[in-house]
Amino acid sequence: MNILTEINLIWPELCIALSAMCLLMIGAFRGDSSNKTITWVSICVMGVACLLVLLGPNNPSSAFNNLFIVDQFSNYSKILILMGAILTLILALPYNLREGIHQFEFPILLLFSVLGMMMMVSANDLIALYLGIELQSLSLYVLAAIRRDSIKSAEAGLKYFVLGALSSGILLYGMTMVYGFTGATGFNELELAFSNGVAKNQFIGVTVGLVFILCALAFKVSAVPFHMWTPDVYEGAPTPITAFFSIAPKIAAMILLSRVLLEPFGGLFIQWQQVICFISIASMAFGAFAAINQTNIKRLMAYSSIGHMGFVLVGLASGSIAGLQAVLLYLTVYLFMNVGTFACILAMKRDDRMVEEINQLAGLSRTNPKMTIALTVFMFSMAGIPPLAGFFGKYFVFKAAIDAELYTLTVIGLLASVVSAFYYLRIVKLMYFDEAVDKFDRSIGKEISFITIGMSFVTTLFIIILWPVLDFAAIAASSIFL
Amino acid sequence: MIISSLAFYLFSFITIFSAVMVISARNPVHSVLFLILAFFNSAGLFVLLGAEFLAMILVVVYVGAVAVLFLFVVMMLDINFVELREGFLQYLPIGALVGIILMAELVLIFGSWVINPSSESIVTTSIVYNSDTTNTHALGQLIYTHYIYLFQAAGLLLLVAMIGAIVLTVRKRPTVKRQNISEQVAVRVDDVIEVKDVTSGSGI
Amino acid sequence: MLEIWTDYAWPLIWIIIKILLIVIPLLIAVAYLTYAERKVIGSIQLRMGPNVVGPFGLLQPFADGLKLLVKESIIPTGSNRVVFILAPMLTFTLGLIGWAVIPVADGWVLSDINVGILYLFAVSSLGVYGIIMAGWASNSIYPFLGALRSAAQMVSYEVSIGFVIVTVLLAVGSLNMTDIVLAQQKVWFFIPLFPMFVIFFISGLAETNRAPFDLPEAEAELVSGYNVEYSAMSFALFFLGEYANMILVSAMTVILFLGGWLPPFDFTFLYWIPGVIWFSLKVSLVLFVFLWVRATLPRYRYDQLMRLGWKVFLPFSLFWVVVTAGAIVAFEWYPK
Repeated sequence: MNILTEINLIWPELCIALSAMCLLMIGAFRGDSSNKTITWVSICVMGVACLLVLLGPNNPSSAFNNLFIVDQFSNYSKILILMGAILTLILALPYNLREGIHQFEFPILLLFSVLGMMMMVSANDLIALYLGIELQSLSLYVLAAIRRDSIKSAEAGLKYFVLGALSSGILLYGMTMVYGFTGATGFNELELAFSNGVAKNQFIGVTVGLVFILCALAFKVSAVPFHMWTPDVYEGAPTPITAFFSIAPKIAAMILLSRVLLEPFGGLFIQWQQVICFISIASMAFGAFAAINQTNIKRLMAYSSIGHMGFVLVGLASGSIAGLQAVLLYLTVYLFMNVGTFACILAMKRDDRMVEEINQLAGLSRTNPKMTIALTVFMFSMAGIPPLAGFFGKYFVFKAAIDAELYTLTVIGLLASVVSAFYYLRIVKLMYFDEAVDKFDRSIGKEISFITIGMSFVTTLFIIILWPVLDFAAIAASSIFL
Repeated sequence: MIISSLAFYLFSFITIFSAVMVISARNPVHSVLFLILAFFNSAGLFVLLGAEFLAMILVVVYVGAVAVLFLFVVMMLDINFVELREGFLQYLPIGALVGIILMAELVLIFGSWVINPSSESIVTTSIVYNSDTTNTHALGQLIYTHYIYLFQAAGLLLLVAMIGAIVLTVRKRPTVKRQNISEQVAVRVDDVIEVKDVTSGSGI
Repeated sequence: MLEIWTDYAWPLIWIIIKILLIVIPLLIAVAYLTYAERKVIGSIQLRMGPNVVGPFGLLQPFADGLKLLVKESIIPTGSNRVVFILAPMLTFTLGLIGWAVIPVADGWVLSDINVGILYLFAVSSLGVYGIIMAGWASNSIYPFLGALRSAAQMVSYEVSIGFVIVTVLLAVGSLNMTDIVLAQQKVWFFIPLFPMFVIFFISGLAETNRAPFDLPEAEAELVSGYNVEYSAMSFALFFLGEYANMILVSAMTVILFLGGWLPPFDFTFLYWIPGVIWFSLKVSLVLFVFLWVRATLPRYRYDQLMRLGWKVFLPFSLFWVVVTAGAIVAFEWYPK
């Protein structure tokens, strides 16, 4: 294929990569004072990339000898990732100024990690997949530790790095197994190789390889039993970074997981379905029960995200178009709820210091009714109460599971959903019925309040945009099943 | 050829031996030195395979640069290895268990290793390799055409690693005086010296 | 039986003879390089230099060698014995093995491998180990500081040497040493690649720890650096290795930029003089500049040294790689 037609497919990635490098040069010569400019330029760049994704080709087309694929599925997820990154970067701006994170590398590393995620969702080869994952994780390790003077941040970075490196090792080990037994790393070749099931003498090798790959990807989406890093990293990392962690990488990894399982390993559906079911049940249950005792809101969000990932995996376990559609919808909803919640957490500031304890929210309805309403909306939505956005996410996921006759999974999921509603509602109760503590500071930056309001509207009125989103998700999902 | 198989056994024996010594040596500096020996002998194995370019790059990059920095760090850190080994026996059972499981898997797998006949035909990357091209050329032709995307992605990865290392370590120390060479060179006599006429007996 | 003789024993003996043919002249050259150094620096500083042992002091290097040979080797109690003894041996060996791929004349080379220049680069990058091991094993402060300085210095300058080599390779299109020389038949590379030639030479000074970059053994600060604790033969091995390295780097300079064994002008009668003579003459010239620099320039400060390596040479050589590659593509000067 002509190099120009290939470049046409990667305009969004190219745009981000080139501008990140240019911004790096600007930052290197202008120093940390250019932080604010660079952040805004990065936001614009991601917006442009978003447009380029939309302008990109509609029919699935691959470039670079099938290493890279662009289809509706990858486009949908790229837009989600970019939106998540843009929103968190806007949230980060006032926080960084206040907390003295003025390294200009901050937005640049974020750009690089977004680039890595876009490469992940467009990967059509095991090697491309690995490089994408590494690019995003490496940037995230650094971002987690970017407040290097704070012990907790350094601890978060180190823990994330060590465990992430371990999971990369496991991923590579699994990939070599698969490669060794099929002689191919490309997704198309693998799909062909497994289209008639697996030959008996390959079975153990490929299955072991697949399980290793699954483990590593489960680590990236922080599904139980590979979740241990999540609470510590979420707690230690600077709050906007935590928001970013809980959104973009999760979405990218989940999309990647879906593509890997449904495309190359689609022929091994029976083998991986049980693994996914187990991971899903464990994540939902663990996310629900472990969050009950948390006192730190960032840790609570960590457990909540583990639980949400469990729900998303329910959709994946059904292995159908409807299931994949539900996965995409859930991820979209999850994006809005999480950005909103983290915007509220970023507003928890008293006497110029960030507070993270849940009981600091007590009686918020008296001191700050607007924020209380927003946070209530997000909590209700996370708990899955109709007609808020979270409800639809859960509804479609469980519907797909029932269609696929996964009744046990559905029942356990519903129970977990009820348990998790407990701790979401506890926060609401705290805000409305408990004795008020001191007020939060008023000056939180208009960016944060703007996003809070926006996200609470989206979450409340999600039913209006539900059908277009569903349609788009359906097109995206069906492009995988071509 | 007897010589090449002798060389193979020599290199592989030393590689394995030094790999074992890396994890069992008491002194961390010795560990690193054995690691270097292992790299070196792996390079020898590459030469035997006819992959001379990879062999040399392995020596230049890993032995010549990476391991030097390792050695540097290990020497400077003065690690207390007795303390490091304290939990060793405690973790031995679980470590051994994991090792045995992985070993069993490998045995199971290699016991039944057959490449899928259908996948052999679908492997697309047949390397353009004949006796005229050296393997440096062959590698270059593959990396810069077929795998250009991965090559560039790996480049970005290294760039991020570099940025990360700088972000996490560089500190601006306002108290340290730095030499600004261009400033020094740009100094003119008039800027720093003032010539005065001193009348004798009165001073300035 | 005959088979074993023709297939194995004879090639082995032949290789050993070839190795000896390279190593013995090399060691003599090293001996006389030390002599030349003292004489050259002596005349630059208006002194006599060695003139007592033998006519014009010509036997001085052998007297020095003998002295070091009969002295007692001291191994400090606190040292790490094995590493301590290994370090000088390593340095010396590395000084010699690089010569396996150096063509001193057309076809006069022990092993004409495809990746010759990479092999040389690899060997020269290993040189740091001898020093860092010596510094650590001595278990003493000055040697350790010297070793750390040296490790940082050699690793830094290797990077720009690598890029310089890349520019030459772009112009040659092969990693083979003989091809590199033959590609210079029309014009020696130091003319089109002059800036790279300069960078290579200066980096070569740093790589061999020669003045003005001889910080690892700066007498005034480190009493002589990484080899303070060494005496007798182990010290002699360091000494020999260091000078052999100097000759090796000069030979690299000659092969990469000064046309190897080729005569300076393309006249037939110049080809009557054997290539090895031209080669030795050029190497001697480069070595003379090494000595000249040592006698003339003051030592760099450490931060200046690092600044030069990372902030001047590295960006510049990177830039020049791009320029060279760009020129080759733009004007279609593809090699061969």
